[in-house]
Amino acid sequence: MLHVWKGKYFALWLVVGLILQGCHGNVPDNAGSVVSTPADAASIARGEYLANAADCISCHSVPGKGAFSGGYAIDTPYGPIYGPNITPDKETGIGHYTRDDLYRVLHDGRRPDGSPLYPAMPYTSYQGMSRADSDAIYDYLMSRPAIRHANIPSGMHFPYNIRSVMFVWQWLFMPSADETLPDGSSAEWRRGAYLANALAHCTECHTPRTMTGALDTAARFKGAMIGRYEAPDITPAALAQRGWTERDLASLLATGIAPQGSAYADMFPAVHNSTRYLTREDTASLVRYLGGPAGLPAPTHITPVNIPQVALQRGWHSYASLCASCHGAQGEGRPHVAPALQGNASLRLTSPNNLLVAMLDGVEAQHISTLENMQAMPGMPNFVSDQEVADLANVLRTQWGGVPSQVSAATVRKLR
Amino acid sequence: MSLVGKPLALQINGQQINVDNVPEDVCMADFLHEYVNLTGTRVTCGQGICHACVVILDHPDGKNETIRTCITGAHLFAGKRIRTIEGHAVGDPNSVEMKLTQVQEAFLKNYSFQCSYCTPGFVNESIVLLEQLKRQPIARKDVEQVIIDALDSHLCRCTGYVRYYEALRQLIVSTPGLIKE
Repeated sequence: MLHVWKGKYFALWLVVGLILQGCHGNVPDNAGSVVSTPADAASIARGEYLANAADCISCHSVPGKGAFSGGYAIDTPYGPIYGPNITPDKETGIGHYTRDDLYRVLHDGRRPDGSPLYPAMPYTSYQGMSRADSDAIYDYLMSRPAIRHANIPSGMHFPYNIRSVMFVWQWLFMPSADETLPDGSSAEWRRGAYLANALAHCTECHTPRTMTGALDTAARFKGAMIGRYEAPDITPAALAQRGWTERDLASLLATGIAPQGSAYADMFPAVHNSTRYLTREDTASLVRYLGGPAGLPAPTHITPVNIPQVALQRGWHSYASLCASCHGAQGEGRPHVAPALQGNASLRLTSPNNLLVAMLDGVEAQHISTLENMQAMPGMPNFVSDQEVADLANVLRTQWGGVPSQVSAATVRKLR
Repeated sequence: MSLVGKPLALQINGQQINVDNVPEDVCMADFLHEYVNLTGTRVTCGQGICHACVVILDHPDGKNETIRTCITGAHLFAGKRIRTIEGHAVGDPNSVEMKLTQVQEAFLKNYSFQCSYCTPGFVNESIVLLEQLKRQPIARKDVEQVIIDALDSHLCRCTGYVRYYEALRQLIVSTPGLIKE
């Protein structure tokens, strides 16, 4: 899954890092760890499952270049960074890694030579991963074909390209493993916590970040902006407010589709490459954890919100002209084409941002499985005015989402 | 949701069209077929994927673009100028004197289509591309990629795209003014 490390106040601790630049030579060099023992088939199979759950492939692969061979670009405000080759190739990949080395990467955010990783690699979450799971992932990765594919150097701008600065960041802002694995009341709930906070690292996108770019663990799962989209608030109350049930959440994670809509934007590859491979039990655990110790509250029913008749007519007019062909005259959706809009969770978000961005930018086709697709949604034609887009958003949100909505033309203009 | 009919006025192929009562939920393809008897625009997938149904929307600034009529409401075109497949050739369609456009000639010469269902979309997209190149010529090295980018979204199930591509490539490289020296 795409991870975004987008703290706006990197400079605050960067200064400290530059001062401590001379400390680089004093940092323990973790190279030269123990020789790995051969893997067995069971460990490799388990590692494959765990690597899927951890969604390694999304950030370490480019379509057509070979799985795990790296090259995926992650844009950060500090410059692009590219997922490295993690195939067993000894020169360009991780063929020289030991199990200890991989565990150190995942747990400490350190390369074998001791240098720190940028937190675009979600080690702040993976540090909660068990040693056994790390080793199984190692066994799986080492069983893969070695692909010779040179890594692309990160394009971080000065002074962010001074990697040793990350020592300071890790020292100051990396949460402890204890914080990332809160206690639960049952084994199922604890398993869900492990998946959400460590292995499947839901928290990386759905938790806001502090000024330093670190996860704001006090606001875990309260939602965060990822590029132009908001990774929604997935705390129990917010999920219930948007109509989610445990069953529907499980459906979304397992298939990408639920009555509340389909996975799109960065959530689609997360489902496609990761969550759909979870066992039924793990999906249930994850959903149970997200629902909170007391269970997910009953979903909020949709009650249309009154808006002026003129605005209503304008909005429905735009809907008929622009949306109804695929989403249906009554917002019922069309199987294998477009999700229903009646009760769609994206309409019910507190912020209209995701709806507006989807309307303006369009949504890429979602090839979910052999028999299931959602077709590409075209972006809003330029000749449709900002006011028309605003009217459309307001009608959809108030009538089919049941939330107040006062989107203005100015808001739409800013997002164009 | 209650939808009502209302008047629709627009310019199609240079002619002003005024229809008194068009339901708000009629898509543009149906409007062309049922209200103005322009049946050359083809509806194939009906969900905005194949692009067979595109027409040319001419903007006041001289630029233009193709729009999918199967997923776009007719009333969205109110007051606008469009061109359909019927608007390109000059002369009586029942006469041998009818003069086709360069794009249409190129497609015929290269046997670009068989069943022809996708052809109106390819013709309109190609005309938009040629007009864009007249405004902004490109380097010779970019021609092939520009054609691929322009036609990429159009689906054809007969000739495998190569003949459309080759026809357009020949036309662009042989037409003065489309390529920068």
